[in-house]
Amino acid sequence: MKWQRNDTLAAAGFLLPNILGFLVFTAGPLAFSLAVSITNWNVQHTVPFQCTGTENYTELLHDKQFWIFFINTVYLMLGMPICIAGSLFLAVLLNQRLRGMVAYRTLFYLPSFTSGVALMILWKALYNPDFGPINALLDWCLQTFRINELLRALGCHPVAPPQWLSATNNLLGLVPQELQISGSKFGLGAREALIIMGVWIAIGGNNMLLYLAALTNVPQELVEAAQIDGAGRWKVFRHVTWPQLAPTTFFIVVMSFIGSLQGGFDQARVMTNGGPSGTTTTLAYYIYTKAFEEFQIGYASAVAWVLFSVIFVVTLINWKYGQKELSY
Amino acid sequence: MADQAARSVRLYEPARTPGFGAWWYRQGQFVASHLLLALLAITMLLPFLWMVLASFKPYEEVENLNPFPSTWHPENYRKVFEQVPFARYYFNSVFVALWVTFLQCLTSAMAAFAFARLKWPGRDMVFRLYLATLMIPGIVTMIPNYVLTVKLQLLDSYLGLIVPASFSAFGTFLLRQFMLTIPPALDEAAWMDGAGPWTVFWDIALPLARPGLIALAVFTFMGNYGSFFWPLILIKSEHLRTLPIGMLYFDSVYGKQTNLIMAASVMNLVPLIVLFVCSQKFLVRGIQMGGVKG
Amino acid sequence: MKWLFCGAFAVLVLLSCLAWSLQPVPAAAGRIPLLWVSDDNPARREQISLFNKLHPQCELRLDPNNQGMEKVIVQCIAGVGPDLFDCYDGFQLSAYVRSGIAWDITGQLRASIDVDKDVWPAALHDFVLDGRAYGFATNVCANAIWFNKDIFDANGIPYPAGPWTWDEFLNVAQKLTVHEGRRIKRFGLLCDWWNWRQFVIQWGGQVYSADGTCCTMDSPEAVAGIQFLHDLMFKYKVMPTPAEESAMATTGGWGSGTITFFADSKSAMALGGRWWLCTLRNVQAERKPGERLRLGAVECPHGPLRVFRGYGRATLVNKNSPRREQALEFTRYEASRPYNDLVNHQADALAAVKQYCYTPEFLHDPDFPDEDFNAVWRDIMQYAVPDHDSPFVNGQAASRIMDRQLDLVKNDEKPVADALRTIAREVNEEIQKTLRRDPELRARYEELMEKKSPR
Repeated sequence: MKWQRNDTLAAAGFLLPNILGFLVFTAGPLAFSLAVSITNWNVQHTVPFQCTGTENYTELLHDKQFWIFFINTVYLMLGMPICIAGSLFLAVLLNQRLRGMVAYRTLFYLPSFTSGVALMILWKALYNPDFGPINALLDWCLQTFRINELLRALGCHPVAPPQWLSATNNLLGLVPQELQISGSKFGLGAREALIIMGVWIAIGGNNMLLYLAALTNVPQELVEAAQIDGAGRWKVFRHVTWPQLAPTTFFIVVMSFIGSLQGGFDQARVMTNGGPSGTTTTLAYYIYTKAFEEFQIGYASAVAWVLFSVIFVVTLINWKYGQKELSY
Repeated sequence: MADQAARSVRLYEPARTPGFGAWWYRQGQFVASHLLLALLAITMLLPFLWMVLASFKPYEEVENLNPFPSTWHPENYRKVFEQVPFARYYFNSVFVALWVTFLQCLTSAMAAFAFARLKWPGRDMVFRLYLATLMIPGIVTMIPNYVLTVKLQLLDSYLGLIVPASFSAFGTFLLRQFMLTIPPALDEAAWMDGAGPWTVFWDIALPLARPGLIALAVFTFMGNYGSFFWPLILIKSEHLRTLPIGMLYFDSVYGKQTNLIMAASVMNLVPLIVLFVCSQKFLVRGIQMGGVKG
Repeated sequence: MKWLFCGAFAVLVLLSCLAWSLQPVPAAAGRIPLLWVSDDNPARREQISLFNKLHPQCELRLDPNNQGMEKVIVQCIAGVGPDLFDCYDGFQLSAYVRSGIAWDITGQLRASIDVDKDVWPAALHDFVLDGRAYGFATNVCANAIWFNKDIFDANGIPYPAGPWTWDEFLNVAQKLTVHEGRRIKRFGLLCDWWNWRQFVIQWGGQVYSADGTCCTMDSPEAVAGIQFLHDLMFKYKVMPTPAEESAMATTGGWGSGTITFFADSKSAMALGGRWWLCTLRNVQAERKPGERLRLGAVECPHGPLRVFRGYGRATLVNKNSPRREQALEFTRYEASRPYNDLVNHQADALAAVKQYCYTPEFLHDPDFPDEDFNAVWRDIMQYAVPDHDSPFVNGQAASRIMDRQLDLVKNDEKPVADALRTIAREVNEEIQKTLRRDPELRARYEELMEKKSPR
């Protein structure tokens, strides 16, 4: 039966607080941010206010720092495939009718749920190159298994535990503050430390729960039919389960992309303050320093909008490509 | 998405293992699975274990490889309260988080009801606008929000912490999903009996959307409890610091005393863990309904 | 459901009342609270408690957590700023003045002190802009040479006395540098790298041109100055290179840092300020009488010009503060005798007011009878000139450029002339960038350029 009433008045009443807040704190600021990004405003009244047009945008495109930090942001996404694969693996493991699965699920989800400043401070202590347990463990392994003697016998350099958060080394050999690659910079450094921590936090997180839900929705008839046909576990997974998980995978990938592009601030602020020589500064952290330490509101808003456009474009691409690839 | 939502109402039914092979094989599988899972769980939890153990160690022992303290020092916890106004930080975090949770639940529920159950022109378009804003990175709106609080002279105050965080498009979205699953027949009965929208809201929609409300409340509390960026730029005075900012300050000033820092971290995390264990069921459902945590 | 929400609301209202009642009291009853944003130097606390004692109607507190020029400006504009804040150089001062938060107290100060005559010239540029005063200097300093009398005695070299040239200095320093195989066990001189500005001005160079319109670090004089500093490390080898310095940290002693190394007798002489005494006095107190250092000080050797780099800090008053009249009392206090005597006694560098550096208590502090060198610190102030900043570029951005290049020079990775040429080029680009953004500055710049080459 269709409702004949027009509830506009009632709706207005119900909607009012929320939409007021929405306009004042979300929609309004959005428009304001776009407007301010074409000015040179810096809140302090030291520089006369004027509309500078697209000057902020051209400046940031030529700003070497901006591109370096953009690369940093993309670099920190290296952990994403490991994370998603890991979540899938854990979800498959948990998807059995055994007692205690709920307990395991809770334990796996714990890092993700408690993620925050306290956890980052914990990892900062773990990564301490002189006093932290990670390097202490690595040192112990090196001593006990006499790895350095072995390496010397093979003619290689002896290794030492990495300096983690104070090292500018990284797996791709990127030189800090320049857009170059150098062989001397290979190693494990601050960026890898953050990636490892990120994977640890997210591997048992929301992605795992989403996969669990999707796994329970895989029609059992298909699985059983494949098994009756003689397919092994791996083949069943590859050809039956995996395609059924496609929409979830797609959703997770898109969300992870969006999250990684705009993230990295908390880690940078709490653990490295931007990293040794700016190696862990992501775009979000760069916007923070420009906006809230130098108070260059106009320029920071321009950078924020560029970031937003990148996210938008990535989402669009994922959407288009994803629909084509995964549609059945 | 909607039919997936409907299907996931029967939330967690484990798959049936196919009954081929001997009983021994199944037993072996059982043991192997448990072993593997236990191993993985312990590996994941190692940092937490280290944290708890280190919080009981005396200062000199923190860097030892042996994770267990030789003598247990529970007074580390008391020392944390003495060195920084930790109790104040706790109070501030909980106070602000409670207010934000209350306001967000109330306003989101009302808006969700308007989107899910009331009929008015332009409803779907406005909702899509709400959804679209979910994609915007937080930092784009943080800057103008900061400027607004500067102009309103709300910098460095409880109001500045609470009010901007009290409105969330995500909350509206989540509760709308839940409300859509309520069978319309119940509503219609009430409408036909002449009940006004307010009564329908309070007596029918809200109670039936209770799982969603609980999920939203827990999410919001947890999110605001750990909120870092907004208090960082807003708060200047020591007596208004929330836990994350207090932890940051504690670490920067007393960072060398790792055992105290770990004690503070443990105290920071305990409410979250307790909250999680109690409300797990609702949370998991909420995540799977909403697709993503805020 | 309704009752649940109402109950929750009631609880929250109760908590709010609790929060409101727990607000910290800004000051004891009857006293006016004042907030000073500055660094958490222990000397600061004594200076504050003396002020509170002398002015019982005020209660001044220190806030070390909100430092930073931009932060202070925005907080003052938002109404939550401090009543007093520090200023470290001319660029910061002009930023504070242009943003409208620095209070012009030229008239009010005139009753207490004659700023032009009674204050060391090197301290003026931190609080005087275009002839107007916006606060008062907290302290001032110029670096001189500390020397270890025991090392001189052991080598039979007479204590140096100023004025002396760098050549005479090299003579002494090379005699006192002890080589051990390929390594150097004891150096002649320790000098923090950031003293490079002193070398530039002593050879006649300047960081910026007199009107501030361009960076002149690539002038031959500046190159000669930095070259000499570089030579001290790599040619004459009387000063440790960065590698040798980090090696020093691991060969024993209780820390690193120039002051600590000097206290550990790792060098015969060191270029430092009077504020080194804050640390050195603590070191002396912890040692047994026989092991204590015998300290001497002599003015820094001079190059072609006998000038020294003066630096200092000033405290400015927030114009928007509702308590600015009381905050003004603090600046008057900084110009008064009790404060300046305290600064001299604490060795928090040197008092900014000239006349208090001529008192007998300063020359021979009864608490520290071994310190017979105080006259040196005072006398060099006559030759101390402040840093010359350019109003057309952000001091921090320029410093970052200079530090990056000079680090390469310090590590012997780039020739001095090349590095300084890069500095001049990049700083001039930075100046142009600033001018593009700011039409007011651009107008002033063009005016100055017209004067240089009038048509």
